[in-house]
Amino acid sequence: MFEEASEVLENMLKWSLPLSLVLFLVLLRAEAAHEFSVYRMQQYDLQGQTYGSRNAILNTEARTVEAEVLSRRCVMMRLADFSYEKYQKALQQSAGAVVIILPQNMSTMPQDIVQQFMELEPELLATETIVPVYFALEDEELLSIYTQTQISSSSQGSSSAAEVLLHTATANGFQMVTSGAQSKAVSDWAITSLEGRLTGAGEDLPTIVLVAHYDSFGVAPWLSYGADSNGSGVAILLELARLFSRLYSYKRSHAGRYNLLFFLSGGGKFNYQGTKRWLEDNLDHTDSSLLQDNVAFVLCLDTLGNSDNLYLHVSKPPKEGSPQHILLKELETVVAHQHPELKFSMVHKKINLADDTLAWEHERFGIRRLPAFTLSHLESHRSPARHSIMDKRSVSSSLEGAGEATAGPHVDLTKLSRNTKVIAETLARVIYNLTEKGVSGDLEIFTEQMQVQEDQLASLLDWLTAQPRAAQLLDKDSSIVHTLEYYLNHYLKDVKRHLVRADKRDPEFVFYDQLKQTMNAYRVKPAIFDLLLAFCIASYLGVLYLAIQNFGLLYSFLRRVTSPRVKQH
Amino acid sequence: MTLFHFGNCVSLAYFPYFITYKCSGLSEYNAFWRCVQAGATYLFVQLCKMLFLATFFPTWEGAVGVYDFVGEFMKATVDLADLLGLHLVMSRNAGKGEYKIMVAAMGWATAELIMSRCIPFWVGARGIEFDWKYIQMSFDSNISLVHYIAMAAVVWMFTRYDLPKSFRLPVTILLGLCVYKGFLMELFVHVFLLGSWTALLVKAVLTGAISLCSLFLFVTLVHSN
Repeated sequence: MFEEASEVLENMLKWSLPLSLVLFLVLLRAEAAHEFSVYRMQQYDLQGQTYGSRNAILNTEARTVEAEVLSRRCVMMRLADFSYEKYQKALQQSAGAVVIILPQNMSTMPQDIVQQFMELEPELLATETIVPVYFALEDEELLSIYTQTQISSSSQGSSSAAEVLLHTATANGFQMVTSGAQSKAVSDWAITSLEGRLTGAGEDLPTIVLVAHYDSFGVAPWLSYGADSNGSGVAILLELARLFSRLYSYKRSHAGRYNLLFFLSGGGKFNYQGTKRWLEDNLDHTDSSLLQDNVAFVLCLDTLGNSDNLYLHVSKPPKEGSPQHILLKELETVVAHQHPELKFSMVHKKINLADDTLAWEHERFGIRRLPAFTLSHLESHRSPARHSIMDKRSVSSSLEGAGEATAGPHVDLTKLSRNTKVIAETLARVIYNLTEKGVSGDLEIFTEQMQVQEDQLASLLDWLTAQPRAAQLLDKDSSIVHTLEYYLNHYLKDVKRHLVRADKRDPEFVFYDQLKQTMNAYRVKPAIFDLLLAFCIASYLGVLYLAIQNFGLLYSFLRRVTSPRVKQH
Repeated sequence: MTLFHFGNCVSLAYFPYFITYKCSGLSEYNAFWRCVQAGATYLFVQLCKMLFLATFFPTWEGAVGVYDFVGEFMKATVDLADLLGLHLVMSRNAGKGEYKIMVAAMGWATAELIMSRCIPFWVGARGIEFDWKYIQMSFDSNISLVHYIAMAAVVWMFTRYDLPKSFRLPVTILLGLCVYKGFLMELFVHVFLLGSWTALLVKAVLTGAISLCSLFLFVTLVHSN
């Protein structure tokens, strides 16, 4: 039979063999049980120090923390069950990867879990690990995968041989595979900063600098939306730009006796790289710049979207009679007369150059001997709210109205606009010298047409928090930078970009890629299962063979059944 | 899931055909070439059916989930071409009745197996992901083998000139059942919302019933002379 078979096949398939080979060689990908986006933990080097997860690829079986054997497996954890001890346990047992599942809507999580996670974020980053750590947003299928994995993980090593056998036949294992490549350093990343100015009326005027950093930080770059820190700062800065540009161009008030310089700095969360380079370029390398001449003071805005506290952080208490002291006094006046519910105080913290990173943005200016403050509703720079992925524009605004405390840091629009008004009034009093002229503290300048527009603030904030603003994701061509530039151009003059690139030989900062991946979860069965199946198929085929061999029996049986009737005819 | 699983599925699907070929004594008749011819006829008939369906039947634009009974019924009617094809194969073959049937059925079923199962097995069963549907497909191909043998026998009986009058009706009914079996199966699945294994079982039972009836009629016919 085989000779003629080969003859026939040769004749028929001679022309189609190459085609069929091509067809068979095309390795189409099997469809996964579930495909979902995962966001990697931060990976960066700052001033030579490495932080975060070093690895990006994984191709391992999934387990949950309850399993006994965790080495070279992908450990899955839910935020509700997350704890630092479990994370450490997974790392110590040399797990292959860790995937932390976050709920879609953070407001469903209780306050204490959110708070605990926020405090753990810096610790997670501080321990440098070669294990890839991913975050995923939960959906139904992922949850079912997790529960199935949990059931099989917790039942390991506790049952008899028969149960194990049955288990292998019915249970589903999951293989987690990421599609990307290994992470590597991004070369030549440019951090962009934007500046713009409003010129005062007159010659040789002192300058007031207003600064806010526009990037955000969290344990996973693609999940850092930074609503309060520092989306609120950027929103206030842009609103101030709008108000003062109106004031300065309004014929009846004239421009004030101060120049205003607005600066949106990039790389703020990475030790204020944007500000640092900008200062170097302006003070060391250019001949004349507003910063070299008379600077009255620098006001940095950082996290002002909430709470009834206001802190003015200084590195040196201001001397009597200096412009800084005037600002301090005006702030106290405005708060006392116009917003008594606000609790204002000054916080004095010396610059500590021995620290890894600087505390507030004003310290950068302080190092260069420029008088600077940072205004914030946070008392300490170490507050977890400044670098958390939980800092989002609150999704369920319906819950807020009911008086429930929303989990995690968020922006309260009324308080944001109140803070904007306080800052605007204070600056106006300083610029136009109102206290000296005897204007009472109750006079509100920014009313009616010059009002602080809450809708404007709301839409700015919504736009800022619609996408993640981690410094690794915003290069000079990103839409956020372009839009900010466009906005500044609308109200200010001389809007310029300023780029920071890391030094080649001794980089201050290094970013890594592969921060967002697609993970596939494939349903797999253990190898024993294949053998079991092969055994079953072999026995089935054996039975079939016997049945066909003895087909004649059935035939003769039927014949005997029918033939008596035929004989009767 | 792996190459091993691929091997499992392929052996489950192909071995019964191999066994049937060997045990039915066709190999002694040098019938391999004739089986291949039957397979070629299968391909030709499928091509014609597809062209016909594509040309004359519009796509269903109704709501998803609503089963288009009339449309599917009309499409199943086109499967009458299968019967014509089988008849064509058998009429061109010389030889005794039983062997004609076996040759035609084997060739037809093997061609269907190769055409419709090879690619899914290669692509799907070899991947990382495990799915029970490949094992189900293999069982399904076993059931089709039996189904085609029964169908060929019924077609042969239908075209016999010496078929007794009393047999006409049962044979016609069986013929109809063979053609519309696919349609009936889909109907059952939709109406009773059967799971995949249950559907397979129902299919096996249905095919078994059809084939037993046709065997009964065949034996009666052949041995009444």
